[in-house]
Amino acid sequence: MSPKHEARLPLAFIPAGQEVRLAGFGDEIDPLQREQLIAYGLAESRPLTVLQQRPMTVILADEVELALEHAVARHIWVAKESGEA
Amino acid sequence: MTTNLSTTSAILLVGHPNVGKSVLFHRLTGAYVNVSNYPGTTVEVTRASARFDHAVMLLDTPGILALPSRSDDERATMRALLEENTRCLVQVGDAKNLRRTLTLTALLAELGVPLVLALNMHDEAAARGVTVDIPALAEELGVPVLATVATGGEGVSELTGRLPDARPPQAMLRYDTDFEREIARTAEAIARLAPHPHLAARGLAILFLGGDPEVAGWLAARAGAHFADLEALRRQAGENAEGDLPALLARERTEAADALSASVIQRALRSSPLLSQRIGQYVVHPLWGVPILLGVLYLVYQFVGVFGATVLVGLLEKDLFEGILNPAFTDFVTAAVNVPWITDLLVGQYGLWTMGMTYALALILPIVTTFFLAFGVLEDSGYLPRLTVIANRLFALIGLNGRAVLPMVLGLGCVTMATLTTRILHSPRERMITIFLLALAIPCSAQLGVVLGMLGGVSFSAVLIWTLAMILVLLLSGFLAARLIPGRRIPLVTELPPMRLPILGNVLKKTGGRLKWYLVEVIPLFLLGTFIMFALDKLGALPAIIRAGEPLVSGWLGLPKEASAAFVMGFLRRDFGATGLFAMAHSLSPVQAVVGMITITLFIPCFASLMMMVKEQGLKVALAMVAVIVPFAFLVGGLFNIALRALWMPA
Repeated sequence: MSPKHEARLPLAFIPAGQEVRLAGFGDEIDPLQREQLIAYGLAESRPLTVLQQRPMTVILADEVELALEHAVARHIWVAKESGEA
Repeated sequence: MTTNLSTTSAILLVGHPNVGKSVLFHRLTGAYVNVSNYPGTTVEVTRASARFDHAVMLLDTPGILALPSRSDDERATMRALLEENTRCLVQVGDAKNLRRTLTLTALLAELGVPLVLALNMHDEAAARGVTVDIPALAEELGVPVLATVATGGEGVSELTGRLPDARPPQAMLRYDTDFEREIARTAEAIARLAPHPHLAARGLAILFLGGDPEVAGWLAARAGAHFADLEALRRQAGENAEGDLPALLARERTEAADALSASVIQRALRSSPLLSQRIGQYVVHPLWGVPILLGVLYLVYQFVGVFGATVLVGLLEKDLFEGILNPAFTDFVTAAVNVPWITDLLVGQYGLWTMGMTYALALILPIVTTFFLAFGVLEDSGYLPRLTVIANRLFALIGLNGRAVLPMVLGLGCVTMATLTTRILHSPRERMITIFLLALAIPCSAQLGVVLGMLGGVSFSAVLIWTLAMILVLLLSGFLAARLIPGRRIPLVTELPPMRLPILGNVLKKTGGRLKWYLVEVIPLFLLGTFIMFALDKLGALPAIIRAGEPLVSGWLGLPKEASAAFVMGFLRRDFGATGLFAMAHSLSPVQAVVGMITITLFIPCFASLMMMVKEQGLKVALAMVAVIVPFAFLVGGLFNIALRALWMPA
């Protein structure tokens, strides 16, 4: 099996309705806000569903809905679930 | 920082925000706490005797997103953990988000305190197809685990029955070998230099290495000069770590929680989202969100502005007080008391009954009651956190994020209460700007009712001009404050709790608690204000004040000179002052009515809110705010006087 190439995209670019996996946090995110996101349950390789992108990014992670401003969602990197276009 | 420990044995309720701690606290104690369906309601530790054992004190702690503590809420909870003589912890967790619950358990377990885990909102988890194997989880943790639905009282008696079985949980993880070495070294130093009577040194070491300021403060006070040794250990651990040590430790706890939750949880496949989830999504929908908000505002206006401020006030003020109570009380006092000044003090023009109590009970009470009922329904439904999403862009203009909408909306009920609630905001800068704007341009429900009652009687244009003036001042002053107060805006990240059908009992309990707070605050101040007015009148000072204020009140604001008396009243409570202007409404032109209401609305809200500003921001900042607000109110009022006379209609 050849290693799978997965593009990392900013969470803010993912259309509503798609399920993705968290790939990492950008350095631009304030350390305290990063701790806050981890505490909300966002961790690498965890699945999350994008519910909407306007006026804010709203995601569903483990039955918890989180609203994130684009200034934050732009610096959260995600990978699309395998099998998706 | 004190190192004194409370001597009474206490059970602490701890957990994430919005998981039902306060409802459970009410079930276990019968005591009222301000309970809401939005995160961050409990801003202070609340304590009450347990129903099941009056010798035991139960503490409701503010919701913590995580430990080590960062926010004020988390620090308050950490202080309680450090300072209370804790008999056991009741961790209240969200059953549908076990992973997050267990991330906190992983840290609490290290403190070595007996614990019971209440997995609350079990009904919501079941509705989402989430099933937790509770016996397996209890076995893994080595503590009692119970499923509860605190709002319905389900599982609460079982929880009480299992409290004696509370045990220190088994450790959920061993950290990375290098971290374990640092933790052991620090724990050994803590046990030697600053041992805690109840909390395990290992748990304190993990919190200390994670950068908890409360733990650091406690250790510093306890270890004295030796704290430098602990600081050196922490610095060394930070330098040895490949990355941010607190984040690395937190990640390992998350992974442990992830592994344990995966082993005890089952998820049924669901084909479509629940109705409550769909409603929740429509409410923040880019297209439907704003029309829904306008609809909600219209309903609130109909209930508070029309039903409360018009129908109920009419019934109470005209029919009950002016028609029955006041004449009867006046006759009784006149017949029973032969001293004219006492009669005057009770039932005269500035009488304690005819002015103070009538204002408080007939004019204000119906308005605040309907407002708090409407607010209670909105917060119980889960709408308010979604309002933060809708309002976020607007609040960005004034250097805040949407979270500030919560104290602002609550301020429309009671500014004093709202000033306290600014603690849910994450940075001191956000708190300072919000408190300033609350004091300046957010009228409380009592004042709002008086304003709408008075200007509604003038014309719709008058109401519109006042509303636009308030929005303009709010945006302009917020814009300036955001640029003058140093610091940067924090982008909004917030949890959206599920939309729920409001429970009447909860709404009534909340309204009752808030009304009690409000009346305890408002009645003494209204009576004091009336007494001051009475004394000034009797001493002949009122005419002097009216004369002294004439250049400002009549010259600059264009109001009748008697309006000075209303501004004197406004120093005590601005709704009291507004009511004073309302009482002379028949002698005011439309321009005077609008200018009077704009000026009095921009005044400092009331003496109680001023005290709260001092409490939250310190005397210096609070006085600086007053020094800006009072001249600013007169400046804006005067500018509107000039503009309206020129553009709107002749006075």
